[in-house]
Amino acid sequence: MTATVSTEPEVAPTVREEEPPPAEEAAKAEARASSQALSDLLAPARPSITAGVILQVFGSIATIAPYVAIAELGKTFLAGGEVDRARVWWICAAVVVALLARTLLSGAALSVTHFADARLQGIIRTRIVERLGRVPLGWFTQNSSGLVRKATQNDINDIHYLVAHGAVETTAAITVPLAGLAYLFVLDWRLALVGIATIPFYLVAYAVMARGMTAKMLEMNQGIARISATIVEFVSGISVVKTFGQAGRAHAAYRTAATRFGDAYGAWVRPMLRTDALATIPISAPAVLLVNLGFGTWFVREGWVSVVDVVTAALVAMSLPAAIMTVSFGMQARREAAAAAKRITDLLATPVLPEPADPRVPTSAQVRFDGVGFSYDGQHKVLRDVSLTLPVGTVTALVGPSGSGKSTLATLVARFHDVDEGSVSLGGVDVRNIATDQLYRQVGFVLQDVQLLHATIADNIRLARPDATLDQVRDAARLAQIDDRVLALPRGYDSVVGDDALLSGGEAQRVSIARAILADPPVLVLDEATAFADPESESRIQTALAQLVGGRTLLVIAHRLASIVSADQIVVLDRGRIAETGTHEELVTADGVYARMWRAHQGQADSAVAGEGETR
Amino acid sequence: MIRQLRRVLGPEHQGRYTRFLVWATVYGVLQGLAVSLLVPIARSLAEGDWSGAWRWIGVLAIAVVCCGIAHYIQAMRAFNVALVVLRTMHLNIGDHLVTLPIGWFAGKTGSVAQIASKGTMAAGGAAAHLMTPVVIGIAAPASVTVSMFFFDWRIGLALLVAAPLIALAARAAAGLIARSEHAAHEAAAESSERVIEFARCQPVLRAFGRTSDAGYPPLTEAIATQQKVARRTMVESVLGLALNGVAIQLVFTALVVLAAALALGGDLTGIDLLALLGVATRFVQPVSEIGEFGGALRQIRGELTRIQNIMDTRPLPEPTRPATVTAPGQVEFDHVGFGYEPGTPVLDDLTFTVPPHTMTALVGPSGSGKTTITRLIARFYDVDAGTVRVGGIDVRDQTTEDLMAQLALVFQDVYLFDDTLRGNIRLGRPDAAEAEVDEAARLAGVTEIADRLPNGWDTRVGEAGTALSGGERQRVSVARAILKRAPIVLLDEATAALDPENERFVQRSLQTLREHATLVVIAHKLSTVVNADQIIVLDEHGRIAERGTHDDLLARGGRYAAFWHERSSTRGWRLEAARP
Repeated sequence: MTATVSTEPEVAPTVREEEPPPAEEAAKAEARASSQALSDLLAPARPSITAGVILQVFGSIATIAPYVAIAELGKTFLAGGEVDRARVWWICAAVVVALLARTLLSGAALSVTHFADARLQGIIRTRIVERLGRVPLGWFTQNSSGLVRKATQNDINDIHYLVAHGAVETTAAITVPLAGLAYLFVLDWRLALVGIATIPFYLVAYAVMARGMTAKMLEMNQGIARISATIVEFVSGISVVKTFGQAGRAHAAYRTAATRFGDAYGAWVRPMLRTDALATIPISAPAVLLVNLGFGTWFVREGWVSVVDVVTAALVAMSLPAAIMTVSFGMQARREAAAAAKRITDLLATPVLPEPADPRVPTSAQVRFDGVGFSYDGQHKVLRDVSLTLPVGTVTALVGPSGSGKSTLATLVARFHDVDEGSVSLGGVDVRNIATDQLYRQVGFVLQDVQLLHATIADNIRLARPDATLDQVRDAARLAQIDDRVLALPRGYDSVVGDDALLSGGEAQRVSIARAILADPPVLVLDEATAFADPESESRIQTALAQLVGGRTLLVIAHRLASIVSADQIVVLDRGRIAETGTHEELVTADGVYARMWRAHQGQADSAVAGEGETR
Repeated sequence: MIRQLRRVLGPEHQGRYTRFLVWATVYGVLQGLAVSLLVPIARSLAEGDWSGAWRWIGVLAIAVVCCGIAHYIQAMRAFNVALVVLRTMHLNIGDHLVTLPIGWFAGKTGSVAQIASKGTMAAGGAAAHLMTPVVIGIAAPASVTVSMFFFDWRIGLALLVAAPLIALAARAAAGLIARSEHAAHEAAAESSERVIEFARCQPVLRAFGRTSDAGYPPLTEAIATQQKVARRTMVESVLGLALNGVAIQLVFTALVVLAAALALGGDLTGIDLLALLGVATRFVQPVSEIGEFGGALRQIRGELTRIQNIMDTRPLPEPTRPATVTAPGQVEFDHVGFGYEPGTPVLDDLTFTVPPHTMTALVGPSGSGKTTITRLIARFYDVDAGTVRVGGIDVRDQTTEDLMAQLALVFQDVYLFDDTLRGNIRLGRPDAAEAEVDEAARLAGVTEIADRLPNGWDTRVGEAGTALSGGERQRVSVARAILKRAPIVLLDEATAALDPENERFVQRSLQTLREHATLVVIAHKLSTVVNADQIIVLDEHGRIAERGTHDDLLARGGRYAAFWHERSSTRGWRLEAARP
């Protein structure tokens, strides 16, 4: 319930196998939603895309020019009599100009859209960042980093194709054949019809193939997701299965899954591919040539058209179908981009933490829970009817078995989530009525999951007070028992975390403590994470943590009973309820849950000190 | 890339791949030839030779049928090759991964899983869809060029000269574009990383006043840099595209001028000029397309290289004649030296023996090699010097199965399968009776977890990933180890002691395990250290500083004693420590 980013890779990816086969309708509705999402997301780039498309239209027209020029050359030579030399060279010059124009126009079109894409990526990233800055902190603990990663890396890339290439390339794919077709009609309407005669065969075959394809694609994608999950689990778990001598079994299961997937994949794709292979034959260049020359020979014989026209028409007709292929390829990319856009817009629609309309300023550092009830999923209550007051300047320790709601309760003070029932208040003001930045000026936390930024050690420590001097930073670091370690780094306080400052868990912990010491918030939530470091480091962490005590309202999520015996107030949680509250002496006397825990703890400690060797 | 795919496919599928390449080539050649037939047909038409024209059209019709057949066959073969590539890679990678040392996987599982799942799909698809246009892009223009020599050797020669020029320009252009795309990609990746960091560290950023209004400078900077780089690389990209375009134009213009000059000189008829130039346009297109595939080809080559790198990793050598255990439950280090990187030793000349049915506690600062010792016992890695013996036999003379059968591991990184809670425990010994599973679960405190979960024992832990805390995972791992009843147990107490409750279960489990097994524990609890039959104190350099029982070491007054006194005096931080 504290941020569990570090444990993420240990969770095997979930694949929902029991999902009913999605109806075609549902798939289409999904596609429509994606399409709408895409159009909203692309809005800022729209004018540039339009400009790119217009440039490309002219570029496409210029593409046809060489064919026209060759035809004119042919005609000039076949005209009989003395060849008009000047005309020949003018036509050659026209070819050069047309080709140049095409390159310039297409280049300009792509440049415009690429610029637009770069700008759009910035806009989307900024929007994501703005959103993330306002969603509840609790959201970040629930596998959200995967979502953000996918959105900012893969999804933005998928959209890149659409913005930077898609529209312009599709335009080229459509306008080039249209211009060609128009030219064919200028030559002769019969030639024009023959030129596109084979395309219907392809379209019919394609339509047959496309029937039920959306659902089929979905099924196939699920298959791919499943095999990927199997592979991921096999690879991630291989060391475990090996250590239990189960490698053979897991390996066999993997082989079966891989073989089965190969068969299924073949069964999905082969029929589609067969239709596609057959459908593209009629629009292949040789077939188009055959049809054009066949009919052309007849037309010439009837005296309807000239030989030059037939040959020119055949040449132009051969270049038409290529466009269709580009368009159908573009459709796939568009679908992917649409799905990516949907994921990004979903991310951008994450509910934000409501900001108070009329924010109030807390008057003290007293924290109060009043009848608090909370659940993560709306079903299983994690906290029930918790009422508790943390007086100013006192230490309150939360104890209880894992899963009892300690961490959840503590993070509610920092408004990681909003409560379902009751209220959490700071200085007499409900935390929901305190402006976020104001709240975090009052409430700090040091959590188990140490979050260090990819920045210098000094900047990490002075996070809350960017204007702190190096001396102040070092004072805090000294109190947190990390100063000497930082000085031993290659660049001291200028070493960058993750680059040349490679810290152990315990050291990172101490840097985060130094950060809290420097920030000095009036209310501090502290997760007493220990025991994952080595013993020597552990005692230093404890010394460091001790620096945070005193002068503030402290809420400690305690794991070691020995450290909290002198807390002003110990709160024992059990299954989301407060089981007991009191000082150490009171609770031991009360002989309840805490007393039992304490005795168990004492037993260990005593035997350890006595060196006898029996534990209970 | 053809070579790389061949290597991936291995000898048994080579023939299939070659046949696909042959058919694709045949298709390309036929296509070029068919289009070239335009020239004789146009000539016949211009001369009014109708029977000649129909004869040639008949030839064209045959060519079209052949083309159609070749196209269909090569398309289906391409797909078959793709399937074979996909399946072969899946199986080969799987077969190879099980032979690799466990240590190799450390920190790599994510990327290996990516390569094995996404990389294989991409490479399989490329085998089919990318190779075809590339092969045709070479074969078709080649056959056009050859047939041109029959019609007009001068135009043929011009094409022959032009082909490498276009290919070179396309290559250069692709290189320019790739470079700029790479730079743009780097900048985009950096800004993505910053966004992800911003999300990951949101609690801390907010707690310390860096809300979105105040801004987080590294992020804003990264986004700004990305914009700048993108604009700069755009220029390079456009230059690349222009270069490609200009090369094709130059060639085409030269052809037009050459043809026009020839025609003016009377060496070429008008209809020949038209037909030859027309066919030549069909030549230019596929050649320039090869350049466009450059980016995709490079990407696939990258995937194939990554796959190959996995396949090239040396497997853990398995003994040809495995030895049988002579001293069950015993672990020995005999002058062991080891380092993860050459030149930075982690363990140095380490010698000790863990007798059967004893408990040894490993103690020392972080980086002293405690974890490495346990990894070497389980042969995650092979030693650089000396010998590790488990059960009296060098671990290198045992099969992985035999070695692992002697060991139960409870380490920090607990991997739970997307299976039920019970299924995850049962992994310890799949043929264990239900009652034994229950008993192991009870001892390790998994029963309490099951009671708390909505679906109890049948809760799938993959789905309940968030419901199980680190400590609870550890308990499942302990239960597995208890169930396994291995003669030697390696245990890292670190995360096991997260809270008093876990601590209780782990201590209880340790007692149980101790009755049957030899224990090697990376100790964090005082009680464990004190109770150990042998304490090994390591120093920062991976050497043994001291060795003995608690009382021995205390009496010696060395490093351990100093540590012990400091520890007993602070014994847990006290909340009042820094109060005024």
